[in-house]
Amino acid sequence: MTLREFLSDRLGRIALQLICTGLAALFLLATGTQSGILLVLLLTLLMIFASVNAFDFFQQRARLLELETILEGLYRKYLFVECVPPPKNLYERRLFDLTRRAGRAMTGAVSDAQAQQREYREYVEQWVHEIKTPITAARLICRDLDGETRRKLIAELAQVEAHIERALFYARAENPEQDCLLRQIDLGKVAAQAIENHRSLLIQSGVQVATEELDCTVYTDEKWAVFILGQLLQNAARYRGTAPVITLSAKPLGKQTQLIVHDNGIGIPAHELPRVFDRGFTGSNGRNRGGSTGMGLYLCKKLAGFLELGLEIASEEGKGTTVTLIFPAKENLTKL
Amino acid sequence: MQKIMVIEDDTAIQEELALLLENEGYMPLVVTNFTDIPGQAVLERPDLILLDIGLPGRDGFSLCAALRKAVSAPVIFVTSRDASTDEVRALSLGGDDYITKPYSVPVLLARIKAVLRRSFGEPEPADILEAGGLRLSLTKGVVSANGKTAELTRNELQILACLMAHTGQIVSRADLIDALWDNQIYIDDNTLSVNMTRLRGKLAEIGLPDAIKTRRGMGYQL
Repeated sequence: MTLREFLSDRLGRIALQLICTGLAALFLLATGTQSGILLVLLLTLLMIFASVNAFDFFQQRARLLELETILEGLYRKYLFVECVPPPKNLYERRLFDLTRRAGRAMTGAVSDAQAQQREYREYVEQWVHEIKTPITAARLICRDLDGETRRKLIAELAQVEAHIERALFYARAENPEQDCLLRQIDLGKVAAQAIENHRSLLIQSGVQVATEELDCTVYTDEKWAVFILGQLLQNAARYRGTAPVITLSAKPLGKQTQLIVHDNGIGIPAHELPRVFDRGFTGSNGRNRGGSTGMGLYLCKKLAGFLELGLEIASEEGKGTTVTLIFPAKENLTKL
Repeated sequence: MQKIMVIEDDTAIQEELALLLENEGYMPLVVTNFTDIPGQAVLERPDLILLDIGLPGRDGFSLCAALRKAVSAPVIFVTSRDASTDEVRALSLGGDDYITKPYSVPVLLARIKAVLRRSFGEPEPADILEAGGLRLSLTKGVVSANGKTAELTRNELQILACLMAHTGQIVSRADLIDALWDNQIYIDDNTLSVNMTRLRGKLAEIGLPDAIKTRRGMGYQL
């Protein structure tokens, strides 16, 4: 609060004080008080008014500053009213009580919503685990079928699994710290696992995958890295061109490690590129092809953020897309 | 025959897994009564245990610890719980491997084989394959016949090994691609054709130009 703000807020009262002083002076002058006495009286009155206002200004400013500091220091800001000392003045105390009641109602609503969200997340995770049992049974049963039907069914099952996987990671991304385990892992293993997970889709799409110099280690969560890479592979297979080739290569960048996923697919229009990581963004490619949810890259970005992975994308329409994952150096990881 | 104990509460998976293991030459022991599993294990003396985590009554983690005390058989966790923390917990409780559902059948079989090999020191798979007058050394990547030899690339080697493992049978192109992907050679149909032509060329050099027959619309046959 600046002095100017305070004065403009108090304008009415100050004007009233000045008018009253003026009227009193006129009255005294008319009734024949000596001008010397009048002057002393006037100055005294003005001094009193000025110091009252100054006192109010400094008091209010100090109080606001104190409240400001309390709010700054709070982690859950909506609990503010519970944490401040109640005011002394009656009117303010009443206002304060009203605010506190409103605040309590909101705190209740917030914790209800949080509980609901947690329950929902738990349900999704449990559901995901349950659905995996019949899928496993279905995969085992597929073994008895002849070649072509088996391959087609397994590809469909793999699609189902990919969707389920995204749902699971979506639920996990809300509280990533519960499931994240940073360890030293082999990049080649991550790549092999991600390729294995999506092999039906890749083979069916006629994709060739080239892996180059992946024999290095990174510090990250294996499952999440496999998931992220899997999303990139799925995209590369989906938006493929003719004679599709996906190249996975790694190279060190100082103490960091880059994993480069390059494809020769249809590419992404330049004006859509900045939005590909947005939630639900499908772009013209997604719309033309259908079946795009706009969740894959959004989840990648979100999980990468938590793993402190860099995620960069470059693309040229008709030429292909390059996604670079930058794994942080071990000593730069803050969560271990 | 090696006994594999299957501790899994889903009946469809129980049945299919038992069938699969039987076809692969193992003797499956399906647990149907979930009380005192360690006691059952002591009686049956399995060579390997496949253990689910979400079981009726007692969860797989504590069961694993109890099983480890009762028998020396290695334990492979097979579960739909895929959190990293679960995996670490399973392995720290004495699990030998951790496979998440839904697994692909070849992956499951390969990991079973690997754990059995580790635990019982079984011989590595043979290095030399012989079929149809051909002699293939997997480690050297060399094929020989009629006293002549030819060096093969990694891709050609795997193609030939796959055909030799199924001598006389027709192997479809899709099966060949699957076999190659199993060995981390991620090629497509066209590249397979190119590799097949080169492989035939090399076999011709050592005097067997028609070793690999094309069966139209079905695949290849050695």
